Amino acid sequence: MSQPLLQVAGLTIGFTTYGQRRRVLHDVSFRVHVGERAALIGQSGSGKTVTMRAIIGTLPMPPAHIDAGSIRYDGRSLLDLTKAERNRLKGTGISIVLQDPLLSFNPVLTIGRQMDDIVHFADLRQGRSRSGTDRRALILETLAKVQLVDGTRILDAYPMMLSGGMRQRVLIGMALLNRPRLLIADEPGTALDVTTQAEILALLNRLVTEDGLSLLLITHNLGVVREMADHVHVMEHGRIVEAGPRDAIFTRHSHPYTRRLMAAVPPLYGEAVRTTQNHRDGPALIALDGVCKDFMLRGGLFNRITSRYRAVADVTLRIQPGDIFGIAGESGSGKTTLAKLLLGLTRASAGSIRIDGRDLKEFAGTEAFRRLIQIVYQNPGSSLNPRRTVAQQLAVPLRFTGHEGTAIPQRVAALLEMVDLPRTYASMYPHELSGGQKQRVAIARALSVNPRILVLDEPTSALDVLVQATVIDLLHRLRTELDLTFLFISHDLSLMRNFCNRVAVMLRGQVCEQGPTAEVFARPKHPYTRALLSAIPVLSEAEAALKPQVTQAERDAVLATTTALIPADGNPQDRNA
Amino acid sequence: MTPPSSLSDANGHRTLTARQMAWYRFSRNPAALIGAAIVVSVVIAALFAPWLAPSPESAGSLVDFRNRHSPPDWDNWMGTDNVGRDIFSRVLFGYQVSLGMVIGVLGVAVPFGVLLGLVAGYFGGWVETVIMRFTDVMLALPPLAMALAITAVLSPNIVNAMIAITLLWWTWHTRLIYRIVKAQMNEDYVEAAKVAGASHTHILFQELLPNCVAAVAVKVSLDAGFVILFGAALSFLGLGAQPPTPDLGTMVSTGSEYLPEFWWQALMPGLAILYAILGFNLLGDGLRDMLDVEL
Amino acid sequence: MLPYLLRRTLSLFFVLFGLAILIFVIARIVPGDPARIALGPLATAQQVAELRADMGLDQPFLAQLGTYLAGLVQGDLGTSLLTSRPVLDDILAALPATVELALFTILLQISLSIPLGVLAAVYRNTWVDTVTRVVSLIGVVTPGFVLAIILQLLASYTVTIFPVTGRIDPSLGFAADVTGLLLVDGLIAGRLDVVGDALRHLILPSLSLAAAGIGQVMRITRAAMIEVAGRDFVEAARAYGIPERVVTFRYMLRVAAVAPLTILGLEFASLIGNAFIVEFVFSWPGIASYGVRTILQKDLNAVIGVVLVSGLFFVVANLIIDILLGFLDPRHRLQLGARD
Repeated sequence: MSQPLLQVAGLTIGFTTYGQRRRVLHDVSFRVHVGERAALIGQSGSGKTVTMRAIIGTLPMPPAHIDAGSIRYDGRSLLDLTKAERNRLKGTGISIVLQDPLLSFNPVLTIGRQMDDIVHFADLRQGRSRSGTDRRALILETLAKVQLVDGTRILDAYPMMLSGGMRQRVLIGMALLNRPRLLIADEPGTALDVTTQAEILALLNRLVTEDGLSLLLITHNLGVVREMADHVHVMEHGRIVEAGPRDAIFTRHSHPYTRRLMAAVPPLYGEAVRTTQNHRDGPALIALDGVCKDFMLRGGLFNRITSRYRAVADVTLRIQPGDIFGIAGESGSGKTTLAKLLLGLTRASAGSIRIDGRDLKEFAGTEAFRRLIQIVYQNPGSSLNPRRTVAQQLAVPLRFTGHEGTAIPQRVAALLEMVDLPRTYASMYPHELSGGQKQRVAIARALSVNPRILVLDEPTSALDVLVQATVIDLLHRLRTELDLTFLFISHDLSLMRNFCNRVAVMLRGQVCEQGPTAEVFARPKHPYTRALLSAIPVLSEAEAALKPQVTQAERDAVLATTTALIPADGNPQDRNA
Repeated sequence: MTPPSSLSDANGHRTLTARQMAWYRFSRNPAALIGAAIVVSVVIAALFAPWLAPSPESAGSLVDFRNRHSPPDWDNWMGTDNVGRDIFSRVLFGYQVSLGMVIGVLGVAVPFGVLLGLVAGYFGGWVETVIMRFTDVMLALPPLAMALAITAVLSPNIVNAMIAITLLWWTWHTRLIYRIVKAQMNEDYVEAAKVAGASHTHILFQELLPNCVAAVAVKVSLDAGFVILFGAALSFLGLGAQPPTPDLGTMVSTGSEYLPEFWWQALMPGLAILYAILGFNLLGDGLRDMLDVEL
Repeated sequence: MLPYLLRRTLSLFFVLFGLAILIFVIARIVPGDPARIALGPLATAQQVAELRADMGLDQPFLAQLGTYLAGLVQGDLGTSLLTSRPVLDDILAALPATVELALFTILLQISLSIPLGVLAAVYRNTWVDTVTRVVSLIGVVTPGFVLAIILQLLASYTVTIFPVTGRIDPSLGFAADVTGLLLVDGLIAGRLDVVGDALRHLILPSLSLAAAGIGQVMRITRAAMIEVAGRDFVEAARAYGIPERVVTFRYMLRVAAVAPLTILGLEFASLIGNAFIVEFVFSWPGIASYGVRTILQKDLNAVIGVVLVSGLFFVVANLIIDILLGFLDPRHRLQLGARD
């Protein structure tokens, strides 16, 4: 084979922080050939971002120091180049797409200004000169290439005026402006909804085939890797533990870490899928009838109500005791508002909510209500108070439901045991715990007053996939032991397939489809459900074949476009979040 | 059960706790250590002035015309003033006055300002509007001018000066706490406490307040210096402590009448003020780095 | 942009209105009878009663407030007991001196603090950073009056070209009667000697006045630049090959400048306060000097007037800063995500 475009050999990098040296990369070697799509996959802290920064030359040194190894691009050793020579390669040889599409833009400059700067200064470095009109033509052409039709209006817009999907497209466009040969993509589309992510991945794949681009993909998502990479490098704790062609990695992996990673991803279709059952009949534990929630948008000179926005529209649901009822939907679909309505944190504009046969309006906020329903939030980093110990936080619900004296520490110890944490953790602060441990504490807090219903608001989406599996196991166990009913809110349909016995799919505030999980996934009726399911990256060809089909016309009818501008007053969902 | 992940990472490196990291930052910061040393020296000077001062009787209205306007030497480290009092001794006693003022002003203004900030940020709505608009108006008052006007009308003495400063000082704490509380209101733990049935008092003082403590500590340290500055400025204009109280601002004011010839009489107490403010500032900055708070 | 400006202006008028009421209330609730305070202990009861009637103090409180506010709207601040002239006239006469001092000080602050802050951030942890931080620290911790005295001492012993009192050498026989600002009027009249002399007089007072703000704003600029340097878009700009100089000024400073400009606006209140001391020390014939004199004489009408004008200064300064921020940061004028 010919000389590789990028060759990383024996790269060893350390960091010095607080007077301590620690090694974060150990002897990392891999290559990317011309026209090849390579992927570095690993969980957070595996060293994949450090590797990326070392390649593009934005690693802060100090505190970082490269102890050994080399990075060769097109035969030249990058680490030995002078600063000027290195700069000449930036954007023109190697270019990047960073993870967060909003944070990657300067918030106070227009898109046009930022794109023009990139072209202009590349021209200066290359000794070229081009007129502003020529540069603008190039920029518009590049925007067209990333399928943005509204080019001229986008150039005058500020980054915050674009939707997430458009920002990601513009960002890819920016990276491509100077025709780089190697594109490094850091978690492309991860911050976006799954349907948008699918569009972005398709776009990147098309650019590789059409423009002969080489791609280095940095990701934690195995499904994305399967759709996007020819060659896969699995990273763990700063080492590449396994590498090989994609199909070999997916079917004949040998390293235990790779195996664990694969096993932790919940399957969407196929034999490995677990189906949760619940056969209890009788009166519904939670009954929603025609529930609506409107938000008033204020603005203008005197803060008047300028428009109203319906976050939840005419939702009717029945949740039986013992259900794990899934509410699926993308951001802004109203699923979190629905959770707040159920917890009595906000009032419904119309309709009725009955829990355990009682009208929510009558007893929301009472002790009896709190003993009935509790919530576990998405991000334990935010739902636990950083300045209070585990014991103090677990004691809050107890203190306000009539527990006193020694009953509280006893209950705290029992709760920790219930979620598989040692009792000694009672005196720790949240920052001393890992993400999974924090979420266990949050679950323990929700269970402290023995509620019958738990609202789980994306309880695992902030966690690594390996940790996610253990938390889901814990929830399964608790449900059986304590006879709980779960309302599980998530955007992760693979997880829901294996966890929930019933699901409802929400689209723009409405429930567009609901039913037993196995049935909804096997025979989705609504085009939106089909679009969602078909967008999910899965781990095998066999699984992919089982995904529902959706026509372009159907997609266009249900999905918001990511290629045209949204109004300047922003996305109403963002404001109410 | 595995040990807590924070004590060591996968590569076997020992991971530092937050407290160790904070102490590391503080101890590697020579400026912060100097600041702490200065503050300690000022506090000691104030506490033990009667025993440390070479001439304790200089604190009062001693008159020793044979020794007047004597430049700094071994007997009088900072020289003597226009009636022959030892300036160094008066400076030590002056720190008593300054620190007394700091305690008096901040002891009232900080709790009051913090409470208002907590209430405004937590309850929102019209409570927030009233408190924060009032704070805005108060911030538009030029502080020194207001303090001057208040002390002038109330008749100039040290207690009135403290009252005037206190009336203006709480606003900064209200703004600071308000901002921190507002940021916290986006965190789920506040809602989690509500869902758990916690009372308003619990949320205000057990959930929100602990997250403000670090910022208040830094602000108080920085403030201590500025209260000293402010009090000295008032007495410099003749509206604070009245002679013969050994107040640093008054000493500069009296001394400036003998400029430029007997420069030490104005300069030495001036530098003494600067020294104390410098200490509190360096300490505050060090604490800010150590506790990693933004003001 | 226009609704944004309108909203800002409106809210600042609100602050000014609140300020007027607040000051009036403070002036009325302080213990003691303003007329008695003004006349001193030796005045007879009849004199006091006459002055009370004259000042409207025999009216009910709300009526007094109404009269006062109505007068205020027409620009009537009452009569000074000290000079027996309308307070407004006194203030207008003293205003140019203070405006000139304040403008020059602000200019000094902006042109020194922001570039030095950027310098310190760019050369972080080098000797450049250390030196700038020490300078900023000295500025922050040195009380205005101590600095003024030190500068006066230096001026009288070593650098004798800077006069230590007044605005201009009276022997030049120049009257600023166009704008009242010596630098501007001197230029208009083509009198370069006047401009030079006025500058020499300005240097020491404005330096004493500017020092604290320079230090403070420099620190904030440095901290904001360092914070912005860690953001993703800076890494992206570098990775796309934008030169370091452009990254620093166009990409980082434009975002980072919000914090120091906001502080500059807030610091303006203490700048006006410090002007009271600096004008006093340098015998600068501005409204702060007038303020100190009227305060010492317990001339309440004048004191209220001076404080109100100071408040107006503050409000206008902050309006200007707000407009500047609106230009600098689109999020301010579109009020998206940047509402406080």
